[in-house]
Amino acid sequence: MASPGGQGGGGGALSTRGARRMKWALELSLGNTRSRGDRQGGQGDVVYPIGYSEKPVPDTSIQETDKNLVEKRCWDVALGPLKQIPMNLFIMYMSGNTISIFPIMMVCMMAWRPIQALMSMSATFKLLESSSQQWLQGLVYLVGNLLGSALAIYKCQSMGLLPTHSSDWLAFIGPPQRMEIMGGGMVL
Amino acid sequence: MAKLLLLCLKFIVLCSTVESVFEDQVGKFDWRQQYVGKVRFAHFDTHVQSSKKVLLATEKNVFASLNTRTGELFWRHVDMTGPEGNIDALLLHGQDAVVVVGNGRQLRSWDINVGGLNWEMVLDSGSFQASCLVGQQDVVKHVAVLKKTALSLHYLSNGHQKWIENLPESEAVDYQAVYSGGNGEVYALGVVPHSHIAIVAYSLEDGEIIKQTSVEAPWLSDIQGSCAVIGRGMLTCVDSPAVSLYTLDLHGQSEMTQIPLQSLGLEVALGFQPVLVSTQPNPARPPLSEFFLQLGPEHHLLLQLNNDQIVTLRDFKPALLVSFATSGEKTVAAVMSPKNKTACSLNLFSAETGRRLLDTTLIFNMDPFGGKPETLYVQAFLKKDDSVGYRVMVQTEDHTLTFIQQPGRVMWTREEALSDVVTMEMVDLPLTGTQAELEGEFGKKAAIQDGLFSMLLKRLSSQLILLQAWIAHLWKMFYDARKPRSQVKNDVTIENLSRDEFNLQKMMVMVTASGKLFGIDSKTGSILWKHYLENIPSNAAFKLMVQRTTAHFPHPPQCTLLIKDKDTGLASLHVFNPIFGKKSHVNPPALPQPILQSLMLPVMDQDYAKVLLLVDDQYKVSAFPSTKNVLQQLQEIASSIFFYLVDSSQGRLSGYRLRTDLSTELIWEIVLPTEVQKILSVKGKRPNEHVHSQGRVMGDRSVLYKYLNPNLLAVVTESTDLHQERSFVGMLLIDGVTGRIIHEAVQRKTKGPVHVVHSENWVVYEYWSTKSRRNEFSVIELYEGMELYNSTVFSSLDRPHAPQVLQQSYIFPSSISTMEATLTEKGITSRHLLIGLPSGGILSLPKMFLDPRRPEIVSEQSREENLIPYAPELLIRTEWFINYNQTVSRVRGIHTAPSGLESTCLVVAYGLDIYQTRVYPSKQFDVLKDDYDYMLISSVLFALFFATMISKRLAEVKLLNRAWR
Repeated sequence: MASPGGQGGGGGALSTRGARRMKWALELSLGNTRSRGDRQGGQGDVVYPIGYSEKPVPDTSIQETDKNLVEKRCWDVALGPLKQIPMNLFIMYMSGNTISIFPIMMVCMMAWRPIQALMSMSATFKLLESSSQQWLQGLVYLVGNLLGSALAIYKCQSMGLLPTHSSDWLAFIGPPQRMEIMGGGMVL
Repeated sequence: MAKLLLLCLKFIVLCSTVESVFEDQVGKFDWRQQYVGKVRFAHFDTHVQSSKKVLLATEKNVFASLNTRTGELFWRHVDMTGPEGNIDALLLHGQDAVVVVGNGRQLRSWDINVGGLNWEMVLDSGSFQASCLVGQQDVVKHVAVLKKTALSLHYLSNGHQKWIENLPESEAVDYQAVYSGGNGEVYALGVVPHSHIAIVAYSLEDGEIIKQTSVEAPWLSDIQGSCAVIGRGMLTCVDSPAVSLYTLDLHGQSEMTQIPLQSLGLEVALGFQPVLVSTQPNPARPPLSEFFLQLGPEHHLLLQLNNDQIVTLRDFKPALLVSFATSGEKTVAAVMSPKNKTACSLNLFSAETGRRLLDTTLIFNMDPFGGKPETLYVQAFLKKDDSVGYRVMVQTEDHTLTFIQQPGRVMWTREEALSDVVTMEMVDLPLTGTQAELEGEFGKKAAIQDGLFSMLLKRLSSQLILLQAWIAHLWKMFYDARKPRSQVKNDVTIENLSRDEFNLQKMMVMVTASGKLFGIDSKTGSILWKHYLENIPSNAAFKLMVQRTTAHFPHPPQCTLLIKDKDTGLASLHVFNPIFGKKSHVNPPALPQPILQSLMLPVMDQDYAKVLLLVDDQYKVSAFPSTKNVLQQLQEIASSIFFYLVDSSQGRLSGYRLRTDLSTELIWEIVLPTEVQKILSVKGKRPNEHVHSQGRVMGDRSVLYKYLNPNLLAVVTESTDLHQERSFVGMLLIDGVTGRIIHEAVQRKTKGPVHVVHSENWVVYEYWSTKSRRNEFSVIELYEGMELYNSTVFSSLDRPHAPQVLQQSYIFPSSISTMEATLTEKGITSRHLLIGLPSGGILSLPKMFLDPRRPEIVSEQSREENLIPYAPELLIRTEWFINYNQTVSRVRGIHTAPSGLESTCLVVAYGLDIYQTRVYPSKQFDVLKDDYDYMLISSVLFALFFATMISKRLAEVKLLNRAWR
């Protein structure tokens, strides 16, 4: 990018200086280093030809190996949740069943992540669009997330956070209605 | 080393947490009032000219000294209840007050300045007759005590017995009076009814009988009631059938002189027993020769005995009460005569001449809701100009003591009827006028009558009123804020009574045994209204019921008091407004039949008054109010109304069902043979009790459901045989509808008195174990099991499964006087038991300690449930005393009432004293602490808010700058 500008600028400067002696001049050698040092900082000694680009232009022709790479990438995405499960199991084991702030935070994270992933399922499907095994990968992704949330529920259960016992519903039982009215006492 | 240990111990004690009140909370939520009871003897302290003391001995066995300026107690000594502590006589001499206690069991001398005991002597057995101070040559050194068979003389200084002499012929002669005129002789006066008077004169020095005479007096039956010693030893008696006075010189006459009253031109009112009133200002000198003779209920005479001649000094008619009073050498007579319907006037008369003293009129305004004056106590004093001034203390029929100064200024009044509270209720205060206005505006009647537009106008106007009230309130706050704090008084009067935010202030309606009703503000303890019901029999039974609360504006609240005469069985109803004490306009029905019991139904009439059913001795039921609407409702629900009656004299429990024609049908009966056991008490559940939780959560998170039978009755029985080995206390749990015995428990080798609390699904009772010689608590809890039979309705008629019963007992280190459980609005707060101890403390014992599920071996599950491991002893922890050092003497009852705050329960303990406080069984979980730092919290909040604003702005600026770079 710097080379065409530098050249134009250099040309302009030379023309103003040479205007006194000659009408025009084209200097092809690298004689005047002072003025070039100003512009290019001694980066390269070569002045690129016009139209030359330093970046290599990618080879856009489709090859067989690229296809495999896409497949691999898509499987990575699909297997991501499943791969997290051993990690989660380890965290679960480490955090224990006591109810305190850190285990609760971990359980929340564990429960929230699969739910979030399931919510953004369509976005993931778009990612997998290019893959030929799109449906299988989608299924694997779903199963992985479901397993993750099941693990979270199991953790909640073992921590006693799920209202599965009758005592959890005790507060909702109202006092029974009285069918008989009774009173009396000792004879006054 | 020991000292160091002690120091460490002290340090630990001081550092341990205290749950009771802080020093600055003393008296903030609680108050205590101390009473003495109905006055039997009263003496003014006269030995110091400007003394402020009056000494009282009362029928409640209390000996006390009051400040005559304020009516407050200087000191008070509470003796045993019953005849053992009965005060038989009170004699005052100088600084010493000599008291005979317990039918002559003990003789005590008290220092009246500090209330300390000078000495105490145990007297020989024998029933007490009379006592008097004995003096000689103007010095009083002895006190004489006359008993049934003996006369004894004691030194005033140390109580030692100088001599004791048996009375001659004491089997035949009834000695009733003792007299000493200061001449070295002590006379015992006895009577053989309808025969003769026996007079025995003893020598003061050695107790030798100097003289013994007997005088014919066939008309005389009782010396104390009809005789008095007047002048220089003249025994004067009055005989009503013969309408004459008899005089007898104790020094030597052997025959009585008869003076017919007609000769004096006097007549006795029909059917009236004349009374003689004499006075002996100085025990070392003979009594005055002037005396009062009462000839009718309102007719008194001042007479003078002059050389066997009786002279009428003055005739007082009408005169309600008379009394002598002495100051220095002057003795005056005070006479109270009715002035008009609401006031009496008092005048002083010279005792010697009967002349009225100038400027001594005093007006006594009678309380229109009080009783008539009954006794008059006069304190006379010499003014600077040597004239006699006086103050009077009047006791009225309703046991009120009023102290009045000239010319009628009431210095104080004491409502001694409150020392005998029988029953009480706490009633919510009404809303303020404006709130009530708003409530009334949208009453259902108004809504039907008015259209939309007028309703809008009404709403606007009422909101204007609210605004006005609010501005007035603000103005008052601003105005008060400028005044010094001491001047701002929060006087509670009946006009500015209104419910507070959390309904913590209530009206205490108290019914006393004398028949006087009181309305007391629960916050300050000030009496807001009183109402004396006349003609209440002394053994009446009372039952107080709240028929309509203050929730039904504009209908006034309504309370009904059922008063039953136990002798005749006849009952009457007194219907009144509990806030103002006024008798209601509603006319209670006349009850011609004896009433056995009453029953309050949750059914209301069209005016929102709950229906009261009265059961008479024919087992017929009458309703009050008995409008058509009520009778119709009753017919509809009659089949579900049941009642039970317990006749403890016959040991019979019976249940009845109501028929539609308001007659009844016996459906069950249980007879507990009275020769084996007697029924002590029957306790149902309180109708206003709520249970929030229907079960208990176990350690494994399952539920043990409570057996919440609203019809359950706890019947306490005690064996008739009180032998240590065979006595027992029984507890029967009976369903009041079906008569089914749910559970029966018997504690062997125990005896009463038994105190019971029955609430929720538990019964707690306390008894004396004769085997181990200790007080024990026992608790029974009832559970349905792990499943509810029917969670929506409870019917006693459909209960196929018997409940599970758990029971546990504990040792309690003290005997108790009374017991009650706390009560809260919704029943969420944990329960405490409030226990009144004989020591005067009120203990708040958590129910958690009385839990039959307390395990003997701790397991994981029991720990999960927070069950305390079983320990047989229940400790009394001093921080559980809710009344710290405010001792409540002789607690007879504790009343609990819920407040608007779930955490708070209002407690009133009554007995000789009245104590009101609040308890928080689960601490104040719904209230911010008193010392909550509003300033800190709000300043932190504001600081954070501004910090956020500023940092937001700074962040914006920084972002913008970065974007430019």
